[in-house]
Amino acid sequence: MTTVTQGGPPDLSGKNLSLRRAAANRAATIGIGLCVLIAAFPLILVAYQVVVRGGSAIGLDFLTEEIARNYRTAGGGMGPAIVGTLLITGMAALIAIPIGVLGAVYLNEYGKDRPLAKFIRTMADVMTGVPSIVMGLFIYVAYVLVIGERTGFGGALALACLMLPIVIRSTEEMLRLVPDELRQASAALGARKWRTTLSVVLPTASSGITSGSLLAVARAAGETAPIIVTVGLTYLYRPDLFAGQNTTLAAQIYRNATQPFEASQERAWGAALVLIAIVFLFTILSRIISARFAIDRR
Amino acid sequence: MKLNRRAIFGTVTAGALALSLAACGGDDGESSSPEINGTGASFPDAFYAAAIEGYADVNADAVVTYDAVGSGTGKSDFGEGLNDFAGTDSLVGEGDGPEEGSYQYIPTVAAPITVSYNLPGVEALQLSQETLAQIFQGDVTTWDDPLIAADNPEAELPATEITIAHRSDGSGTTSNFSMFLDEATESWTLGAGDTIEWPSNSVGGDGNTGVAQTIQDTEGAIGYVDLADATESGLVFASVENADGNFTQPTLEGTTAGLEGAVVNDDLSYNPLNAAGPDAYPITAPTYILIRTEYEDAEVGQAVKDFVEYLLTDGQELAAEAHFAALPESLQQQALDALNETIAD
Repeated sequence: MTTVTQGGPPDLSGKNLSLRRAAANRAATIGIGLCVLIAAFPLILVAYQVVVRGGSAIGLDFLTEEIARNYRTAGGGMGPAIVGTLLITGMAALIAIPIGVLGAVYLNEYGKDRPLAKFIRTMADVMTGVPSIVMGLFIYVAYVLVIGERTGFGGALALACLMLPIVIRSTEEMLRLVPDELRQASAALGARKWRTTLSVVLPTASSGITSGSLLAVARAAGETAPIIVTVGLTYLYRPDLFAGQNTTLAAQIYRNATQPFEASQERAWGAALVLIAIVFLFTILSRIISARFAIDRR
Repeated sequence: MKLNRRAIFGTVTAGALALSLAACGGDDGESSSPEINGTGASFPDAFYAAAIEGYADVNADAVVTYDAVGSGTGKSDFGEGLNDFAGTDSLVGEGDGPEEGSYQYIPTVAAPITVSYNLPGVEALQLSQETLAQIFQGDVTTWDDPLIAADNPEAELPATEITIAHRSDGSGTTSNFSMFLDEATESWTLGAGDTIEWPSNSVGGDGNTGVAQTIQDTEGAIGYVDLADATESGLVFASVENADGNFTQPTLEGTTAGLEGAVVNDDLSYNPLNAAGPDAYPITAPTYILIRTEYEDAEVGQAVKDFVEYLLTDGQELAAEAHFAALPESLQQQALDALNETIAD
């Protein structure tokens, strides 16, 4: 900062590098480029496969009709599974995101390094590593067996348990990124702590919190094992989460893909495409929303 | 201020949107008769799925779901009250879930377990029960063994080594197959159960389709596969010696003939393995539906009764197409009587 360069800005074009450094630079650039390609390759391949194989299955009927009662024959749609996915994941998000965000606010704004906060932080980290089937079995024992019926709400609870630690940890990371100067400025204007948190900290971090929460929603939407254990199976539209068995796209993909029949495998590809499209749609929606509401930090 | 509140709202929008969007898509799924749910065995799933489809054609109001999660889960669900009926290939044992006296077996269909093999050039193979036991416990290791040759005087048997294909997962098919060898032969030493300690010249496969695949891929392989999967995989099956000393192919007629010779217990459980009768195929697996002796909701009970009644009457005609054997009429009638007795109108 203090040194003054003579004769204009420094030359960063790399033309004057020594041969060894130029070669190293070139090699590193190519290496990184290759890594990007390798990383993108499976993603592109997956998307390509799903679109090609699932595309032929999808039509208006596929999106709206009831689910076929027999895996072996063609026909039927995924309507109930689409509604089930949206409802169950939505309910799970409604449970997990407010609790998770408020929990993270406690951890970062109030708890800080207190023993309780440290304990919760550690537990949240451990919980992110718990296999989803364990959450499913937990809800099976704690909820399904108690009320004596597999329902959509049981699935929502299991998914909420899965999402909660992700939401807590990602939100806390985002809150930590909010500069302390903002909090101090707000306090200097006479705002109380809750007012500062509500009006300054959360809005500043909102875009990060949204993408973190969305990651959790996307993960939950694709969960299969806990859904199979807690939700059961239905062929019909089941808008009521609290009575009657339900189904989701992920569960339908699993059920259909594990059958050796062509018709069911085609249905599984179609359902996979629909699921990816739904997650994609939500990603874009939330990006738009968070971009619109985020405080401009310039 | 106003903007800030909306900003908070934005952080939870992902979830809220999901719910509101979904609410738009919801249809009303109510129907006049209650929906009934069954869970259990995967072995008869092909038949039940076809029957549920057929039932919907006859009775548009009725809604039946069957979730093929395996006999074990079906039984424990039944014990926990999570299903309205359960499907199972094996009988209820201690600790399986359902309490003594809370259930009634209703036999629905049966299917043969084939002894499938891969031996190019040998299109018809006959195996006596004794030979079968010797092969599957690893005492006979090549196809040109005198024991096999004695069963097949006309076949030209190659010196290929035998590879046993078996289920790697705990399976009702393994249980029924080993129970057959255990009951039918003196020399079988490996016992009976969902899993068996197979000899070293064996390869495990996951599920019936996994075993079928192993047989398909391995020259000299022999294994046990249910008829539906063996047929769909295009496997060749051996004729197996039955209790009367005849060699029979695993056909649905042979299976039904085997059911006729089986002794049915008072609780309607029966053991069709190695049943008497000249045409009976000896390795036949039964499958049952468990119904409750008491339904809390009488309407649910009635719905279960209607469905099971359909399975035992018109539904039986759908069995053959799904490679399952219908019950002989006497057993059908016994099952119907038990159904009427268990669930009163």
